[in-house]
Amino acid sequence: MINGLNEDQSAALQELANIGMGQAGNSLALIWKEFVHLSIPRIAMVDASRLPDLILSFVGDTAVSASRQAFHGGFRGEVLVVVTARDRNGLAQLMGYEGQLDAAEREEVLLDIVNILGGACVGGIAQQVSAEIGFSAPSLIGEDLDPLDVINPEQLAIDTALSLEVCFQVENRSLTAHLVILLPNNEVGALADLLDQFLCTLEA
Amino acid sequence: MNDEYNTILADFIVERLELGVFAVDAQFNIVLWNRFMHTHSGKSAQSLKGSNLFTTFPELPESWLKRKIESVFALGNYAFTSWEQRAYLFRFKHNRPITGGVEAMLQNCTFLPLKDEKGKVEFVVITLQDCTDNALIQQRLAEAITISDEERRKQQELIVKLEDAKNQLFQSEKLASIGQLAAGVAHEINNPIGFVNSNLGTLERNVTDLMKLMAVFESKEAELPEAAQQELSKIKKDIDFEYVKEDLAALINESKEGLGHVRRIVADLKDFSRVDQSGWQIADLEKCIDTTLNVVSNEIRYKATVVKEYGHPPLVECVPGQINQVLMNLVVNASQAFPERGQITLRTGEEGMYVWIEVQDDGVGIPSENLQRIFEPFFTTKPVGTGTGLGLSVCYNIVRKHEGELTVRSEVGKGSCFRILLPIFHGKMGESEELEAAHSVPQ
Repeated sequence: MINGLNEDQSAALQELANIGMGQAGNSLALIWKEFVHLSIPRIAMVDASRLPDLILSFVGDTAVSASRQAFHGGFRGEVLVVVTARDRNGLAQLMGYEGQLDAAEREEVLLDIVNILGGACVGGIAQQVSAEIGFSAPSLIGEDLDPLDVINPEQLAIDTALSLEVCFQVENRSLTAHLVILLPNNEVGALADLLDQFLCTLEA
Repeated sequence: MNDEYNTILADFIVERLELGVFAVDAQFNIVLWNRFMHTHSGKSAQSLKGSNLFTTFPELPESWLKRKIESVFALGNYAFTSWEQRAYLFRFKHNRPITGGVEAMLQNCTFLPLKDEKGKVEFVVITLQDCTDNALIQQRLAEAITISDEERRKQQELIVKLEDAKNQLFQSEKLASIGQLAAGVAHEINNPIGFVNSNLGTLERNVTDLMKLMAVFESKEAELPEAAQQELSKIKKDIDFEYVKEDLAALINESKEGLGHVRRIVADLKDFSRVDQSGWQIADLEKCIDTTLNVVSNEIRYKATVVKEYGHPPLVECVPGQINQVLMNLVVNASQAFPERGQITLRTGEEGMYVWIEVQDDGVGIPSENLQRIFEPFFTTKPVGTGTGLGLSVCYNIVRKHEGELTVRSEVGKGSCFRILLPIFHGKMGESEELEAAHSVPQ
């Protein structure tokens, strides 16, 4: 059970996330014309101070690049995309970039990927619970970072967050990206309400 | 408000907003093109409606933009571009025909999905926002930050240099007082050594004369009366005269040798501290090594065997007093690298316009994490109070002032090798006051 959600809500969220990610995978395969494999979403309630370790546990001890994007509407939060340096060219090809990338294009790839993966996954879940979700313009966290430096817990505005992590792998390309959806703890109530409404429609 | 009014309002907003607005269908055909786009592209909505975006504007980055628009169709979500990464989507003239400062209008773009009742994306609407003015301010800000960062970096460098200079001064002063002491002691010892040496010479001559006299006495001994003979032979026996005769010569010889040794040490001390001649000179580095080894021989005698592999390189223009300091530090350090006893190998050689000296030990070696730091001031691995951590940093600075290089290679368990590379010529002879003032041992 996830802190802040009851047993039914936790189970529903896990199930919705699974279905949402399945849809996201289909959408991505449609755009990229490659088969996209998504891991089963890992959902957990995390203390803000533990977030850097969480990122490290997802990607391992290697230099990473990361970008973020906010979403709002039925529930609010932020998505992070974390990729390792060697995956960047593969990503760029998927996004339709041609030739050698310059510094600005490398940044743009990171912004595009968070927009697409975030849009696909958050959109997938929002669709299940019939919530309208909008997105702000994405921004860059940084390139060639220590995984522990992706999130600075001292700057965070929250104590705890609901974290939903999915790992993307694109077949035929050795490409791995980690998407982390973070919901501030005070938004968990809004999500719980949406889950309750969803459960009601099932019972009805 | 009726629907008709709403439509008029929406049309007005789309047309008149200072924002580029256009829309394409899933085949990338243009279905909307507002006044802003018309003004800046020079192509009217009428002329464009229904034509393909990429045929009409072949300069657009087709592969990437298609993917981007397709992803909005597929996902039904917004997408964005920012002038910071992509200066513009369409190359439009900027709004600063007089004031200038940029080459084209900088744009932020938003891609919006326009959905039908079923939620399927029918069109993608793209808005272009002119960010040129904001971007200029931001660029100027970024430049200002870069300049201030650069200044801070320079300040930081200066602070480090200052710190270096302070350390150098501190060490110079320490060495200077040791040098002064050594020079003073050498001077004080030199005088008594002089007259002891001279007296010893006289004593040797006198003893030889006395012995000659004694030989004559002994040859005439048989001619003396019996009683006198007995008395003489008793005294001879008591003082062991035969032994005294032999020993006298040996004693004088040993004393001369000892004195010679003392004189050499005094000469080396004077040589080492260069009290009489500091500054740039043409020097024989192998002689420098020998002098240094003599001075530190006591320190290393029980710890290391010294092996010399001299390559007889040419004479070098240097400040020999300072090079001696470097050599002394390296040799003493090497002697401290052995758990029991080891070997220090001193090599010299020539390499192009340079002469090199290597001080190698077969001691414990230096772990790689320390290797990068050993030339840093105050870095020491010796117990507190034993080393100042300045020795190698001073060596490094001295060699650097000589426009040379001090490098080290080391392997844990196998030993370390320090290499001094010095240019043969400097053209500094006679203009060395500044360097001297900073470094050398005052007279």
